[in-house]
Amino acid sequence: MATIKPSGYSKHRKKQTYTRRLGTRATPMQMLFSERVGGMGALILVIACLPLLLSNNYQYDVAITMGINAIVVVGLNLLVGYAGQVSLGHAGFFALGAYASAILTTRYGLHGALALPAGALGVGVLAYLIARPILRLSGHYLAMATLGVGVIIHIVLDREAWLTGGPDGMYVPTIEVAGVPLYGGAIWYWIVAAVLILTVWLALNLIDSPIGRALRGLHGAEVAAEVAGVDTTHYKVMVFVISAVLASVAGSLSAHFSEFVTPDSASFFHSILFVTMVVFGGMASTFGALIGAALLTLLPQLLADFSGYEQMILGLIMMLVMIVMPRGLLPTLVGLARRRQREARS
Amino acid sequence: MSLLRVEGLGIHFGGVQAIEDLDFTIEAGTIHSIIGPNGAGKTTLFNLITGVYRPSAGTILLDDTPIAGRKPHDLARMGLSRTFQNLRIMMNMSALDNVMVGRHLHLNRNLLACLLRLPPVTRGDRAARKLCTELMDLVGLSAYRDADAGSLPYGALKRLEIARALAAEPRLLLLDEPAAGLNAQETREIDEVIVKVARSGVTVVLVEHDMKLVMGLSDHILVLDHGRTLAEGTPEAVRNNPAVVAAYLGTV
Repeated sequence: MATIKPSGYSKHRKKQTYTRRLGTRATPMQMLFSERVGGMGALILVIACLPLLLSNNYQYDVAITMGINAIVVVGLNLLVGYAGQVSLGHAGFFALGAYASAILTTRYGLHGALALPAGALGVGVLAYLIARPILRLSGHYLAMATLGVGVIIHIVLDREAWLTGGPDGMYVPTIEVAGVPLYGGAIWYWIVAAVLILTVWLALNLIDSPIGRALRGLHGAEVAAEVAGVDTTHYKVMVFVISAVLASVAGSLSAHFSEFVTPDSASFFHSILFVTMVVFGGMASTFGALIGAALLTLLPQLLADFSGYEQMILGLIMMLVMIVMPRGLLPTLVGLARRRQREARS
Repeated sequence: MSLLRVEGLGIHFGGVQAIEDLDFTIEAGTIHSIIGPNGAGKTTLFNLITGVYRPSAGTILLDDTPIAGRKPHDLARMGLSRTFQNLRIMMNMSALDNVMVGRHLHLNRNLLACLLRLPPVTRGDRAARKLCTELMDLVGLSAYRDADAGSLPYGALKRLEIARALAAEPRLLLLDEPAAGLNAQETREIDEVIVKVARSGVTVVLVEHDMKLVMGLSDHILVLDHGRTLAEGTPEAVRNNPAVVAAYLGTV
């Protein structure tokens, strides 16, 4: 195939650096800095080493909450960050997962290990039914509709006391596996860690696949993606369901870990918190989402000393980060590092 | 048998009749141009053919299959592909990934396979990356292989649209003003690309204002004015048609 040499492009050509020879495998060095090898390696290393710093139950609690939030946020980032569809109702799916586990185990005697997938399946079906009509909307209208979904779930969990225990919430029994009760931070840390690592791996795989490009593509130029053969409605629904299922799984884990659920887990504030974690860490960046979830879980704990003012300081920190780094923490820092590297080279 | 046949096509937006009672056919393997003054309905016609708009009247037949009212992604499956006059580039992706989106229908899109990154997915992606790189070379974008789409200049984005459309391996390619805003040199390069594409067996429909490009390339020209056919025929016939001259230059 003959190549047309465009005029006047030669000066750009020299500047262009090829990070990867196309159509070939990556070199070991490139793999080390890729998300799937380097990023996953770093994540596993951090998770493996973190228990060395954890000395009491409270610290384990914070670490586990970080992990649970991270599972939700990595899923939500697929929807909000990559596909560009807002959801202000994901705490609803989180709470449904938690309540599914609570209700199925206490009232129907189902084992926790079965209640979790059952809840995830139910939430998946519900999310599918909700997504078909509301994902026709976009922007503010979609935000309003998903907000409505979250609020409705919150109200139902709050009012249907015969099933959910009402505003007081309900206890969840300890899961036993082969006679060993799963109780305490040390055990749950590793359970949540395993699910989180699996979630991150699946998310990275999905994004770097034809489906992932379809999702990013419909975010960037919906008509163009549609014309290229991407059934945009189908993919929006798909990613909405995936993110809802991940929220439900995280909810189930949280219910079994804390052994208690309340309707507040479905609150509007909780939904906003999840979206904030995505935006804070960096939209369309899986590791950004992890950092966002970790920092915004940790910060309120660190600021607890400023009793009464912690929310205000948290708000200020968030405002500052978003003003200075509008693309979110990780993408801004990565961009900065790349520019440094380029300047150093030239 | 003609590849595309349009019969009695019409659409109105409120009181504005954008296209009215339009008939024409496009033969396979030809370069077919649609010209006309601004507001004649050329882009509207493209949007009707590619399923972005639903016609209020008439039929569109692709290989004798009615396609009016079908969704764009369905039509892409049937071999229709297009570029946009106002660029529709995915600025959140790399230039190469934009072209790779165009390859969507030829790749493994099974959710489980993608989630687990099974070999068919990686193999398909690797082959697609190679092919899309070649397409970028073909349209003259070798210098921007790894670049972010957002960092490309306007002329390069125009080519990127063409590369993305070609990645789908269409039978019918609709180009909406591919040379708009380009200088003479760049227009010549686009001209070469279009000829190369047509030679490879793709039927090309071209909307364009650059008369030199249109007259030099086209096998057949359709002139629209106020949503109706003003003239039709070979470049020679259209050039000498008094009605066309009047529409472009006005009557004395």
